[in-house]
Amino acid sequence: MGVPGPLMTERRLLILFGSQTGTAQDTAERIGREAKRRHFQCRVEALDSYDVANLINELLVVFVCATTGQGDPPDNMKMFWRFLFRKNLPPTSLCQMDYAVLGLGDSSYPKFNFIAKKLHKRVLQLGGNPLLPVALGDDQHDLGPDAVVDPWLLALWDKILALYPLPPGLEVISPDVRLPPRYTLHYLAEDSLHSDSSLLQPTPARALPSELHPFAARMVSNQRVTAESHFQDVRLIEFDVTGSGITFSAGDVVMIQPQNCPEDVQQFCQLLRLDPDKCFLLKPTEPGTALPAHLLQPCTIRHLVTHYLDISCVPRRSFFELLSHFSTNELEREKLQEFSSAQGQEELYSYCNRPRRTTLEALWDFPHTTSAIPPEYLLDLIPRIRPRAFSIASSMLVHPGRIQILVAVVRYKTRLSRPRRGLCSTWLASLNPEQGDVRVPLWVKKGGMKFPADPDTPVIMIGPGTGVAPFRAAIQERVAQGQKGNCLFFGCRQKSKDFYCQAEWEELVTKGFLMLFTAFSRDQEEKVYVQHRIRENGRLLWELLNGQGAHIYLSGNAKQMPAAVAEALQSVLQLEGGLSPSEAEEYLSALERSQRFQSETWS
Amino acid sequence: MEEFGIAAGQRVAVVWDGSSPVGALKRLVDSVRASVGADGRVAVENVNQLPRSAHKESSFDVILSGVVPGSAAQHSAEVLAEIARILKPGGRVLLKEPVVTESDNNSGIKTAAKLPAALTLSGLVEVKELQKEPLTAEEAQSVREHLGYQGNDLLIVQIEGRKPNFEVGSSSQLKLSFAKKTSPSGKPSVDPATAKLWTLSASDMNDEEMDLLDSDELLDSEDLKKPDPASLRAPSCKEKGKKKACKNCTCGLAEELEQEKKSSQPRSACGNCYLGDAFRCATWREDPAKREPAA
Repeated sequence: MGVPGPLMTERRLLILFGSQTGTAQDTAERIGREAKRRHFQCRVEALDSYDVANLINELLVVFVCATTGQGDPPDNMKMFWRFLFRKNLPPTSLCQMDYAVLGLGDSSYPKFNFIAKKLHKRVLQLGGNPLLPVALGDDQHDLGPDAVVDPWLLALWDKILALYPLPPGLEVISPDVRLPPRYTLHYLAEDSLHSDSSLLQPTPARALPSELHPFAARMVSNQRVTAESHFQDVRLIEFDVTGSGITFSAGDVVMIQPQNCPEDVQQFCQLLRLDPDKCFLLKPTEPGTALPAHLLQPCTIRHLVTHYLDISCVPRRSFFELLSHFSTNELEREKLQEFSSAQGQEELYSYCNRPRRTTLEALWDFPHTTSAIPPEYLLDLIPRIRPRAFSIASSMLVHPGRIQILVAVVRYKTRLSRPRRGLCSTWLASLNPEQGDVRVPLWVKKGGMKFPADPDTPVIMIGPGTGVAPFRAAIQERVAQGQKGNCLFFGCRQKSKDFYCQAEWEELVTKGFLMLFTAFSRDQEEKVYVQHRIRENGRLLWELLNGQGAHIYLSGNAKQMPAAVAEALQSVLQLEGGLSPSEAEEYLSALERSQRFQSETWS
Repeated sequence: MEEFGIAAGQRVAVVWDGSSPVGALKRLVDSVRASVGADGRVAVENVNQLPRSAHKESSFDVILSGVVPGSAAQHSAEVLAEIARILKPGGRVLLKEPVVTESDNNSGIKTAAKLPAALTLSGLVEVKELQKEPLTAEEAQSVREHLGYQGNDLLIVQIEGRKPNFEVGSSSQLKLSFAKKTSPSGKPSVDPATAKLWTLSASDMNDEEMDLLDSDELLDSEDLKKPDPASLRAPSCKEKGKKKACKNCTCGLAEELEQEKKSSQPRSACGNCYLGDAFRCATWREDPAKREPAA
């Protein structure tokens, strides 16, 4: 006779996640499914959606948190993060909690998994009992975060089942057995909805546009600003936001919710044998599960596939795992199971991740299985389309009621014959405001960069390529307020091809509002970049920094540019300021700490 | 003293060195004492003793150094760091120091540009030069005596800086609880007072005024380490089980492998070329030359 296990009502697990691109959410949902197979009652929620007052009553919690930006928490855990570090939280608050933290990050960034590391220690500080050391998933591993997650999950279940052994008579549900979907789908009668229910519902009165209530902004213009012969299509796009209540300052960011193109939507419906015009309602399978917040109901299949399901994203392991359950074809099922297994991850990476194969393309390769997918599993199978962030490139002082952005259309080749395209940039580029009323759902978010309040403080801005967007906003704003201390380092490939904003900048230079240094990398034999211009103008930079307390800003691609620029700046500090190499490094760190050196870079 | 902007009730440190004339120093200290009044506090320190005095951090509103008329005090990086440490956040330092205008000298006197840089390096912000004047005869004499410098290119600079308003590198006691739990049923229950505090705090999630800990303080040197790049590699399945002969092979393996190479012809390993991409083997994927046409 074994030790009597705890009652089923006590087998509860709470999984809380903070996710920016959806990976942490996907991992949290995977843990939730594994928990269900072990007969746990499980809740999977975003940290900011969870009522944190209840946290002191939770006995078993798993946190799955990504680190984003410059060591920052993802948007859906920012509120929780500010709460967690309040000085007035008593140190024994979480003494009832057994917990584990799984972090997702990228070790090529300096603040690798800082959120998970800090969370683990703070919960410990507040009295929590860690089941395992903090796990740090890494995008830089050849096999991605799963290289850490897979073994960690085995250890986690060992620990949890030791605390909560399976009641006698119950086994772990085999991975071959299909779990019920999160929602059931109920088709409605043909004439119950006469128009496609729009994502763009009117915003509740006096509420600022947000992710759940975006503003349907009219596109005013969509101009290509690079030469036709240039390899990259870059657009300057303007939106009309009058009446939205939106305000912003230089450094802020606009979030845009993109959609799938009609050809892809049609192909998807054909593959899955779905009627795009049919209307449906979703109902949760388990009481207590919330309906998807971003999907208005009832809606049509066409709306679901166009605005909600991210069919152009690269499918994850969980996609193949779930798909294998629907397979009627043995060959397909075996391959799908292989892609779901730990041993098959390398194969999966070679098939999917490296060539950036889309979900739609993968479904095309498994025709028998795809035609058998039950529609109610669609929301478990395919994640939601995520919004994209763009630095606002204009100032309200110069263009009131308008938002302008610079968009580089993403298009590149992998070994697949069709070129890879960015969902949002391609969609925006396809819109033509001259052919009718074009609307784009958007909202504004505070950006990371803050420009100095003191009007006499000069600013030095380094922004090659589309990185220059927030600086265009800052310069417009500062010039409108009569501030002259503006110094811009701009780099691109060729003066005649991608020197966007040339006319604007040159006019400001003539009027004495702007010092402009340009680097055209391919206009001459040797490569010239912004870092070369920085070194050439060391004396001026030193005078601005040391004598006038200037702030420096860096914006653009995260790969090599930030390191090269930092090196150039340190060299200036050494040559012009007479600092030793270690003093120069410390000087830059001191600037960073006092927020006089800010950067926003992306990869 | 209006000149130095000192208010009643403030805590002020007056820092001097051997070059400060004693009488002038005493007059300055008396004047500062009068300004701060009964509620204030004045500490008087020799610049070389300052680091050793180990004042409590963040304890002074204002620090004056080298401001005694006739002083030729110099401020080392160590002294400036100490000044930054004992200043309160938002507190102000006002100092005077002789500088040379010509660079490349070996006198140990800072150049005019180096002085503001030195303050910035020590973590002070809003560094501003207030005055730059040639030395009085008395000061020039003082410099010659105390610093042994004979040149004529000296200026005396009055400069101020502030400690940033957020506590950089401040420390507070972190209690890490290591209480062990043995079983779910043996869990301690939350103290009702603790529960009340937590719930109360949670009832206002939007309070921007709340005092927050600096989360960076939780990290130690281990946390700042990056994973070893070698640990990020996955062994390639192509390399598994491949035999390689040594250059001067004597066991016959080299000949064996040569034979294998000659006899093998490009052929599909799995016969699945006609199926979708997912079913093609590694050979098909990596080497277009080995692909059989679709059936």
